[in-house]
Amino acid sequence: MPVTDNAVTDNRTPGDLSGSDITGAFKSGTGTRFTRLLGIATIASMALLIVFGLFVSPADVIQGESVRILYIHVGTVWVAYLAFSVTALASAAFLWKRTTSLIWDRIAGASAEVGVLFMALTLFAGALWGRLAWGKFWVWDARVTTTAFLFITYIGYLAVRGLGGSHHQRGRRSAVVALLAVLEIPLVHFSVKLWRGLHQDSSVTDTTKVKLHDQMLFSLFIAVIAFTLLYSWLVIHRQRVMAMQDALDDKGLDYALQQRRDEGDG
Amino acid sequence: MDLSPRATGPVAPGRLGNRRKVLSIGLLVAVLGAGGLVVTKFLTSSLDYYCNVDEVGVKAGCEAGRRLRIQGTVDEGSVKATNGVTHFTVTFNHVTVPVVYDSLDPGGLFQECIPVVVHGVMKDGVFAGDEVEVKHSNEYTAKNKSRLTTAESPACSQRR
Repeated sequence: MPVTDNAVTDNRTPGDLSGSDITGAFKSGTGTRFTRLLGIATIASMALLIVFGLFVSPADVIQGESVRILYIHVGTVWVAYLAFSVTALASAAFLWKRTTSLIWDRIAGASAEVGVLFMALTLFAGALWGRLAWGKFWVWDARVTTTAFLFITYIGYLAVRGLGGSHHQRGRRSAVVALLAVLEIPLVHFSVKLWRGLHQDSSVTDTTKVKLHDQMLFSLFIAVIAFTLLYSWLVIHRQRVMAMQDALDDKGLDYALQQRRDEGDG
Repeated sequence: MDLSPRATGPVAPGRLGNRRKVLSIGLLVAVLGAGGLVVTKFLTSSLDYYCNVDEVGVKAGCEAGRRLRIQGTVDEGSVKATNGVTHFTVTFNHVTVPVVYDSLDPGGLFQECIPVVVHGVMKDGVFAGDEVEVKHSNEYTAKNKSRLTTAESPACSQRR
């Protein structure tokens, strides 16, 4: 539905505009004191990751310098799993009658968008690493294929969110898809155990038998923290933009309806 | 007159009868369960990426006449590149197969003592490969500079 600037800024807008006027709450943008602090923490941890990932942590005895892709590859896939899990939890909260609220739907949507972005980064970093280690950008082994499947599933989820209808229709449809899609995560995670593939098994599952050099493990830890902070910052802002978008849609619809009514009266 | 197509709250309950709701959820669980079982139990051999060297001609799906992907560790001292092809042997579970790869550089981290997957066909006891993929392990250790002077591959040094 096209919404003109006029619909929002015109003070004389007729009709009932009661309801959530969220645009007023974030007049200066989507930032708050908290998100600015979160942003600073994100930049600081990213800087720390650059120092540890590129300079402090050692090269691997077999893989050499290319092992540094690990921090991006594992850090981003961790965020993607986290994001899709948050989407599922928020969707469950939206569907559950006692907690149903559009804020859960927006958190679910925002989290899925960021998750898709990070999953794309995982696949991209993985392709580069694959070329260096395996000799191939892409192989159809179980882990790589199921990861691509997960990625495409969540692009489908975002498409379902864009089907149209009311905000609550969007919320219900997408929540059902989110609760089904999240079941793919264990499939992706255990694909290296279920089937023989080219992709390695995870190096940090049993905390007593970590197959990673100490400084590499620490750098990976920083990467996970840095990417998780970035994820939180992005989701908070995106979810607020979505709230403004919803409010804008509502106002535009009310305005258009009022105009048609006025035409009828006149 | 309210023309607004928007629902202001959650939809009125009862649109989907309780019986139908239970039935559809039950059906969904059954389908997902069956799907999970098929994927994890019955599709295993067709979703496996490779046959280990010792399974060629033994395991179903690893028949010697068909195009295969075989997995084994490159034997120390077996790699020889001549006339535009690379010869080496791969071993898994005490079974060794000689491989002729149709090009010079197998790519990736290819070296002696590293596990590889070779695509190709078994011909007269020799595996004619046209693609090589290196299967690196999930172990990461820091590069030790003093070790660089030795001629052997890092994978062989690490194995000791």
